Amino acid sequence: MSNSLTNGDGDLLRLISRGDEIAFLAFYRRYQRPVYRFALQMSGQPEIAEEVTQDVFMLVMGSAKKYDPKRGSIPAYLYGVARNFVLRRLEQERPYLTALDDPESEYADVAADGQDALADLTRNERVDSLRKAVLALPPAYREVVVLCDLHELDYAEVASALDCAVGTIRSRLHRARALLAEKMRAEERCAV
Amino acid sequence: MNDNDQKLMEGLRGLAADGPREAPAWLEERLVGELRRQSRVRRRNRWLGVGALAIAAVLAVTVWVRTAPVVPAPTMAHLRTAAAVKTVEPPQTTPKPAVQSAAYERGAEVAINFYPLPDADDLPPIESATIVRVQLPMSSLRLMGLPVSDDRAAESIQADMLLGQDGLARGVRFVQ
Repeated sequence: MSNSLTNGDGDLLRLISRGDEIAFLAFYRRYQRPVYRFALQMSGQPEIAEEVTQDVFMLVMGSAKKYDPKRGSIPAYLYGVARNFVLRRLEQERPYLTALDDPESEYADVAADGQDALADLTRNERVDSLRKAVLALPPAYREVVVLCDLHELDYAEVASALDCAVGTIRSRLHRARALLAEKMRAEERCAV
Repeated sequence: MNDNDQKLMEGLRGLAADGPREAPAWLEERLVGELRRQSRVRRRNRWLGVGALAIAAVLAVTVWVRTAPVVPAPTMAHLRTAAAVKTVEPPQTTPKPAVQSAAYERGAEVAINFYPLPDADDLPPIESATIVRVQLPMSSLRLMGLPVSDDRAAESIQADMLLGQDGLARGVRFVQ
């Protein structure tokens, strides 16, 4: 996702507020991937990610002209909206880790694709266990790991998306990485 | 950065590259469908607003006409004669029965006779008339006592307003 507000985005939002379908499609195709992936990485459930993506773009449809560029870039705005929807859904849903154990889940399919080669299996296992560890983090830590490390946003952008200070992001990320490293070390010890 | 941190960062990079990359295609279709629905609703609401304004204008004119000083009653036959042309001289003879405007007969559109507005007979006789083309909501047909189904009430219809020399509306006709 681009980290800067482009002129094209502003024009698209103006057109979307008038019901322009082509503008909406251009905007959707530009931003659906990061929004969907963020929701999936935060929730671990494709169903929630789909619903959140839908909710985010429905909101854009209905309130495109309310967007204020002074309050942050469009990616930060979309991440912020997506984050609120995800947290709301997670509060309503059963614990997300059960979805990861579900062999029907999308992540399970992805992992199964690489089972032919031992190297892939090892890598997939590592990625899978790290995914579980990320999903097990408290939401406040999880969201900074997802945005900073998986979506590679800078601190300022993440602070804008999560509506908090840059220092808070930095300290949460530091703490989250420490928790993840600890979890990975514990898993390695168990494996040995 | 120690060895563990490096492993963690490598793992996170692997995680970033892993998993489905985009939302399913049906989501795009659903959202476009929703956008179309919202556009339809927005258009309908816009027309309702325009229709409400038009009705308000007609009602305002009607109320004003009701409160105007009473003058010797003209006949609606004057009105019908005046409908034929944009500006006409005062009627000198017995008016002809209502007919369609010759000007409109030459064109592709078909106009029906003018319907007198309520209490139009109380207004002064028409000395010269002006016809103004407007868009009215279908629901305004009900004011003329014509049946209009609810699902078509928000649609618009072209109409000609017949104004007298004093600018007051005397009649309306709907262009089909």
